[in-house]
Amino acid sequence: MNNPRTWTRDLGLGMRFAVTGGREAWVRTALTAIGVGLGVCLLLVTTAIPSALSSRDARGDARNDTRFAEKVMPAADDTLVVSAVDTEYRDKNIRGRLVAPDGPKAPLPPGVSAYPKPGEMVVSPALAELLESDDGKLLADRLPDRQVGTISDTGLIGPGELAYYAGAEKLEPTGYPTERIDHFGPAQPGQDEFDPVIVLLTLLVFVVLLMPVGVFIAAAVRFGGERRDRRLAALRLIGADSRMTRRIAAGESLAGSLLGLVLGTGFFLITRAAAADIEVVDVSVFPADLDPSPALALLVGIAVPASAVAVTLFALRSVVIEPLGVVRTAKQPRRKLWWRLLLPLGGLALLYPMIGQGRDGGRFNEWLVTGGVVLLLVGITALLPWLVEAVVARLGRGSLSWQLAVRRMQLSSGTAARMVNGIAVAVAGAIALQMMFAGVEGDYTNPTGQDTSRAHMEVHVPDSERAEQQARETRSRLQQTRGVTKVSEPLMTASVAERPKDADSNALAHIGSCNALREIAKLPSCKDGDVFVIPRSKDYGDDTEAARLAKPGKRLYVDPMNNRFHGKNPAWELPAKIREVTPRKSPDGYLNTGLLATTGAVPADGLPIRSGAIWVNTDGSDPDVTERVRNAGAAASPLTEVYVYAADEETERFASLRTGLYVGAVAVLALIGASLLVSQLEQLRERRKLLSSLVAFGTRKRTLSLSVLWQTALPVALGLTLATVVGITLGSVLLKMVSRPISPDWTSVGAMTAAGAAVVLVVTALSLPPLIRLMRPDGLRTE
Amino acid sequence: MIPAGSLLVAEGLRKTYGPTTALDDAGFSIHAGETVAVMGPSGSGKSTLLHCLAGIVTPDAGTIHFDGRELSAMSDAERSALRRSEFGFIFQFGQLVPELTCVENVALPLRLTGTKRKDAERRALGWLERLEVDDVAAKRPGEVSGGQGQRVAVARSLVTGPRVVFADEPTGALDSLNGERVMQLLTEAARSANAAVVLVTHEARVAAYSDREIVVRDGRSRDMEHAV
Repeated sequence: MNNPRTWTRDLGLGMRFAVTGGREAWVRTALTAIGVGLGVCLLLVTTAIPSALSSRDARGDARNDTRFAEKVMPAADDTLVVSAVDTEYRDKNIRGRLVAPDGPKAPLPPGVSAYPKPGEMVVSPALAELLESDDGKLLADRLPDRQVGTISDTGLIGPGELAYYAGAEKLEPTGYPTERIDHFGPAQPGQDEFDPVIVLLTLLVFVVLLMPVGVFIAAAVRFGGERRDRRLAALRLIGADSRMTRRIAAGESLAGSLLGLVLGTGFFLITRAAAADIEVVDVSVFPADLDPSPALALLVGIAVPASAVAVTLFALRSVVIEPLGVVRTAKQPRRKLWWRLLLPLGGLALLYPMIGQGRDGGRFNEWLVTGGVVLLLVGITALLPWLVEAVVARLGRGSLSWQLAVRRMQLSSGTAARMVNGIAVAVAGAIALQMMFAGVEGDYTNPTGQDTSRAHMEVHVPDSERAEQQARETRSRLQQTRGVTKVSEPLMTASVAERPKDADSNALAHIGSCNALREIAKLPSCKDGDVFVIPRSKDYGDDTEAARLAKPGKRLYVDPMNNRFHGKNPAWELPAKIREVTPRKSPDGYLNTGLLATTGAVPADGLPIRSGAIWVNTDGSDPDVTERVRNAGAAASPLTEVYVYAADEETERFASLRTGLYVGAVAVLALIGASLLVSQLEQLRERRKLLSSLVAFGTRKRTLSLSVLWQTALPVALGLTLATVVGITLGSVLLKMVSRPISPDWTSVGAMTAAGAAVVLVVTALSLPPLIRLMRPDGLRTE
Repeated sequence: MIPAGSLLVAEGLRKTYGPTTALDDAGFSIHAGETVAVMGPSGSGKSTLLHCLAGIVTPDAGTIHFDGRELSAMSDAERSALRRSEFGFIFQFGQLVPELTCVENVALPLRLTGTKRKDAERRALGWLERLEVDDVAAKRPGEVSGGQGQRVAVARSLVTGPRVVFADEPTGALDSLNGERVMQLLTEAARSANAAVVLVTHEARVAAYSDREIVVRDGRSRDMEHAV
C-alpha cells in the first residue's frame, strides 16, 4: 500500500513520535527546529529584502525635488523653491533641504505637516537624536535652527536616515541645487536603468548566499538521525515494513521542520522588529517595509517541510533498518561519477549562451543565470561525496590517529562529505563572486585623480552674486578653524561669452591671486593685472572656446547662459596682452582650460563671480577637523559644499553589494559552523561507549583528539579544494559573460578558504571539551 | 585476610555516584594465572569494582595494589600506561572499533604501545588463529557474528600479553553455545599466557570457568572460598 492515506498515517505517526518520544525525541526535534528556524529566518529576510528596497525607492521617489530644469518655473501660489544642501557628518550622509514656499498652496514634502519658518527646521527622528547627543555636538553647530517638528516615516527612506527641511527667507532658483518646483515626486518616472552587470552581481549574491542555507536546512533535518534509526528498529520488530519506517522517520523530520517554520517565523519577526535599529552600509529599513512577498513566503513554507521529507527519505535509502538494529548497508556500492558530473556540466551549459552578453550593456537571462549557478553549486554537493570516497579509499597508512580517522571515513564517507557540503558551497560561491568583483572592480572603483598631497579638502563657495565676498568670509572662518593647517587663496570661476545672452558657447574665467592661479596653471611670471589663457588641455582638447575668445581688447560678457541680467550683463574688456600658459592639474585632479585673470585685471564691480574654490589642508590626527571645516563653510552659507579628497572612490551600489557579500558570507559560514558543531557533537555522543572503552585500554586522549581533527580536516581540505576549483570555474565563466579577462583573485581565494578552514578549527576546538568529557570512564557504566 | 603472593589486591574500597553507593568496603585479590569470577545481581557494584581494579575509576576510599604498586598514587597517564601494557579488556558488546577490520582491532592495543603496524598485525593474526577467527581478519565488526566479534575482543585483550584480563559480562550478548566457546577459549588462552582473569558475570555457568568466586551485594564483596 502506497497511497496518500498510508503516507498521511505514517507521517503523522512520525510526527507524534517526534513530540511524544520523551526527552531524547524532544532534544532531536528541538535541534532540527532551531536549525531549520535559523535557515527559514535567513530565507525570509532575504526574500523580504527586494520588497524593502523597492519600498525604500518608492519613498525616495515620492519626495524627489530635483528637476535639473533648463528654464526656471515662474513663482505661483502652489510653488516653492527648494535647495539641496546635503552634507555629511562623520561618514554619514545627511539629506538637507532649504525650503521657501512661494504661496500658501505650496505642496508639502511627504512626512512634513507644515513648512518650517526661517530659523526653524523639521528633522528626522534619527537626526533629532543625533543632534541631542554628545556625539552630535559639532553637527548642532552646523544646524542651529530651532526644531519645530519631526519628519514622519512617509518622508524618510529608512528609520536611521538623517534628514531635515529648514525654512529659508528667500532662495533664488538658479538651477540645481536650487530649483522651483510645483510638486514632490519623480520628474520623469521609470528612468532608472540598472547596469546589467550590477543586476547579475545582485542576482549572484542572492543565489550564492541562499544555496548554503538550503544545504544547511538539508543537514539540519538529519540532526539526531542515528538515534532515531535505532528507535525505528524497534518499530520493525513489531511489524512495520521498511518503507513504513522510512515514512515514519520522514514524519519525525517533518515535525522538526514544521516547528522550525514556526520558530523561523518568530526569529524573522524579532529580526524585523529590530530592523529599525540595524544599519548596514548606511542603509536602514522600516520594519513595515521588510515584508517577504507572499508568493516567496508561501514557497518557503511549502519547500522547507517538503524538502525535510525528501531529504530524510533520500538519506535513508542506503540504511537498512532491521528488526534487530540498524545496518548501514555494509558495503555501499561505489558512488558513480557520471551523473554527479551532469549537474555542474548542466550548469555550465546553461551559462554558456550568455558568454560575452555583458559587452555593450547587453542583458542576461535571469533564469538561465540562476539555474546555471545553482546547478554548478549543487554539483559540489553531488561531487564531494564521490571525491571524499575516492580519495579516502586511496589513503595510505600512518599514525594510529590517522588510521582511526581514515578508516572511519572509509566506512561512511557520506557523513564526512555532508558535514562540509555547506562550507564548500558557500566558499565556492564566494570565490566566484569575489573573482567577479575583482574583475569588474576597475569599472566601479574610480581613481578620483584628487591630489591629497596638495589639499585634503575643497570648500566650494556656491554660485551667487555675493560669491567673492562669501569666499573671503569663508576663508577667514577656515583660517580660524582648529585643525586647519593651510587655506588656499580663493580661486573664483565665472562663465564668459562674447554675447550678453543666448550665447552658443562659453568659456570659464578663473580669477584670483597669482598664488590661486598657480593651483591650475604653470605661470612663468605673474603680477596683479596679468591675464593668461590655457587654450588646451588633455581633459578638454585643443580647440577650446577660451582659445577663440582670448583676443586682446575683446569685450566679454559674464553669465551669458542664466539670463540673470536680462541682457544687461556686466562686461569685461580683455587687456592688450594675454599670455598663453600650460595647465597644471588642480588639486581635484582636473586639467582646466579657460582664461586666467589676476584680481586686478577684472573690474572690481563689473564681474560678478559665479562660484569659487578654496583648498584646505588639515591635521590628519584630529578626528573632528572635517566636521569643523564643514561647519565653517555652512556658517558662511548653507549652500557651501565641502569635498573630502580621496585617491579612489567606489560606486556606491557596487560597494554596498561587496559589503553585502562579505556580511552574508560570514553569516552563512557561522550558520554552517553551528550545524557542523551540532552534527559533530551528535556523532561523538553516539560513540560515547566506544570512546570510553578505547580509553579503558589505555588509548591516549591526544590520539583520539587528533583522530577527530583528521576526520574534520580531511573532508574540509577536500571540500575546499573542490570549492576552489568550482569557484574559479564559475568565476571565470561569469567574467567571460561580462567580457572581462579571466584572472583568479588569489587573495580572495585565500581569504575565503582561510575563512572556511577557520570555521573548521573553531568547530574542532569547541568539540574538544565535550570529547574529553565523553572519554571519561563513566561512559562504560550502564546502570 | 588477603592471600599472600597476590598480583592484584584491593582493600576497603568505597565508591559513590551521587546518592548511590556502588562500593562499600569492598575487597578483592587475585593471583597470577588465576581466574576469579565476580558475581552478583544487577546494580550490585560488580562492574564498578572491575573499573576500580583496572584503574579506570578512582575509588573514593581504599587501596589497590598491582604487583606491589599503589594504583591510587599513580597519575592518569601512569594508569593509562599500565592499562596499555599490563591489562586487557573484554566488554559485553565487544566494543570493537566499527571502522577498523578485525585484525586492525586486535592490533590496536599493540599500536598504542608503539609496536610497528606490520608487526602488530602479524601478532594480531596469530591470536585470531588461536581463537579460531582468522577467517574474519579482514572483515569489519559489522560484518561478523556476535560470537566471532567477541572472540576478536578476547584476542584483542590478550594480544599485548597482559598480566590481568578484565572481562565484563563477556558472554552477556551471546547464546549459550557461543558463550561456552568464548569462555573456553578465553580461559585456555589466559592460562597458557599465565594471565589472571577478573570475570564479571551474573551467570553461574560462566562463573563455573573460574577458579574462585567473589560475590558482590550492595557494594560489599564476599570471597566464597574464605566464606564460612
